[in-house]
Amino acid sequence: MNIWKISIKNLKSKSFYTVLSIIILALSITLLLGIQQIKSSFEYQMENNLGDIDLVIGAKGSPLQLVLASILHLDNPTGNIKYTEAKKLAKNRLIKTAVPISYGDNYKGYRIVGTTDEFYNFYNAELEKGQFTKEAFQVVIGATLAKNLNLKLGDNFKSSHGLVDNTIDVHDDKLIVVGILKPTQKVIDCLIVTNLETVWDVHDHDDEEHTDSHESEHNDSEAHEAHEHDNEHHEHDGHDEHDHETTDEAHHDHENHYDEDKEITSLLVQFRSPVALLNFPRKVNESSNLQAAIPKYELDRLYEFTSIGFKTITWIAYLILIISGITIFVNLYKMVKERAFDLAILRTYGASNLQLIKMIAYEGFTVAIIAFLAGFLFVKVGLTLVLKTARLGFKQNIIKTLTFEDGMQVAILVFIMVTLSIALAIYPILKMNISTILSNEK
Amino acid sequence: MIQTQNLTFKYKNQKTAIGFPDIHLKENEHLLILGKSGIGKTTLLHLLAGLLKPETGNVTINNTNINTLSSSKLDKFRGENVGLVFQQKHAIQSLSVIENLQARLFFSNKKENQNKLNDLLEQLNLTACKNNKINQISEGQLQRLGIALSVVHNPQVILADEPTSSLDDENCEAVINLLKQQAEKNKAHLIVITHDQRIKSFFENTMTL
Repeated sequence: MNIWKISIKNLKSKSFYTVLSIIILALSITLLLGIQQIKSSFEYQMENNLGDIDLVIGAKGSPLQLVLASILHLDNPTGNIKYTEAKKLAKNRLIKTAVPISYGDNYKGYRIVGTTDEFYNFYNAELEKGQFTKEAFQVVIGATLAKNLNLKLGDNFKSSHGLVDNTIDVHDDKLIVVGILKPTQKVIDCLIVTNLETVWDVHDHDDEEHTDSHESEHNDSEAHEAHEHDNEHHEHDGHDEHDHETTDEAHHDHENHYDEDKEITSLLVQFRSPVALLNFPRKVNESSNLQAAIPKYELDRLYEFTSIGFKTITWIAYLILIISGITIFVNLYKMVKERAFDLAILRTYGASNLQLIKMIAYEGFTVAIIAFLAGFLFVKVGLTLVLKTARLGFKQNIIKTLTFEDGMQVAILVFIMVTLSIALAIYPILKMNISTILSNEK
Repeated sequence: MIQTQNLTFKYKNQKTAIGFPDIHLKENEHLLILGKSGIGKTTLLHLLAGLLKPETGNVTINNTNINTLSSSKLDKFRGENVGLVFQQKHAIQSLSVIENLQARLFFSNKKENQNKLNDLLEQLNLTACKNNKINQISEGQLQRLGIALSVVHNPQVILADEPTSSLDDENCEAVINLLKQQAEKNKAHLIVITHDQRIKSFFENTMTL
């Protein structure tokens, strides 16, 4: 026999209250841990996907939408921009790399992104097997996607138009998997990457079929060209010192006539120095019909919006934690009160105050530890289940595992709360007058 | 050996202290203390057990003046040397009969001896219910468990507060005999405090308050 055994037997003898306390405490711990995990996963996900992308250039519209669409691949794009125009901007000396991306198709809800090989560098993505795309209609797929759709090298599939899985608007051209990427824990894990030509060709092909009159197409491109020239003039006017560059551009444009009326969705930009962020975005926004959005800034704004929700849930979780703390306290206090005679008798058995305090503390902490482990388990199982069933729309189930710090934070909080309840419950023991209890209890 | 000197006690709300006659018991001597209700019998018993601090005077058990001990030392001393039988039959609810006895041994720092435990259970006719929880045993079994709990740790003194007041004549005699028998087995002093005149004849030494 020892104090531990007596504590456990005490808990067992009032198992209903014990289980109730454990459930309530475990629930609040689950909520706290869950929120912490979702929040940190969310932020980690966003920041991780940002990578080295300093700026996104796309069609005018909501800057947040542009960032969500082009970087996190969550929202719809704001529209398309002329590839030639984007290329001109990309020539700026301040820019280290500028990666065009173009999309508008999906395969079973996974987005197909047309881009250049530099796109992989943003995510430090490496090939698990196969090779990078060399020609149109070849694709490289992310690790999560390969696993979820069970796609292998050499498999081919038909993409459907739009960003939502559908069987109505399916393209005729088959895409063939030539490479599979290693897991990166970033958004690229859930993307189908191909070159720009694939996206263009798929749609050109469709256009030929769907356009009723070639006349209108011709008119369209004429209008585009006129617009194009206007812009060039503008550039000339503003930047006389760039003469050399613009000549180059013209030459280049001439060579790639193919690109003339091609469109991309956006341009992902990495600067040589962060100083460029001061002026370059403003210049783009003011002097062209393009929009430049700073991902970091837009995502910070997004956090501001979403943090209200997180804060509310966090407060609710704290509230539940306090309630469960009170429950534990009430149970322990009731036990002390109801069993004052028991405790007095234990004192006559030779038990010291310290031993009785230990006995009650063991009971409290046993409940707390079981509840914490249960809460931890609930979070693990619960989040996995939620993610499996809900999929959160954007096919990303990259949940960051709980860090030791996150767990410790909640554990310390629970520990403090339980200690407080125990201390309050023990107080009557310290004041206990054995003689009074023994002679009054009739 | 147990003795008291000039023992007085003052209740919280009273101005004057009440005094108690001196007690002096030599080895193997027992004592019956008789008195009406409300005269301070339980107070005297609690003073003897060190559960109350006297206003003046002291209690000496086997050459230890218990009133000079610190409260933690007193807890320990009481656990090892004193066995209490309460008027209200009581044991720890969450433990079984045998576990109550084991807990009693644990808190008085005595080693468990399974044979001795079984003997004791046998003597007090508790073997059949030794694994039962307290709410699963009869009144009589609970009474006998109370006696077992007061002697299981081989105390120097057994203090019994009204052990027979709620019993019929037959059971009254049985309980007193069991207490005396256990006290003699353990070479312990038995001090019974009661208003029950029926047990007068069982004791050589009596004292009336």
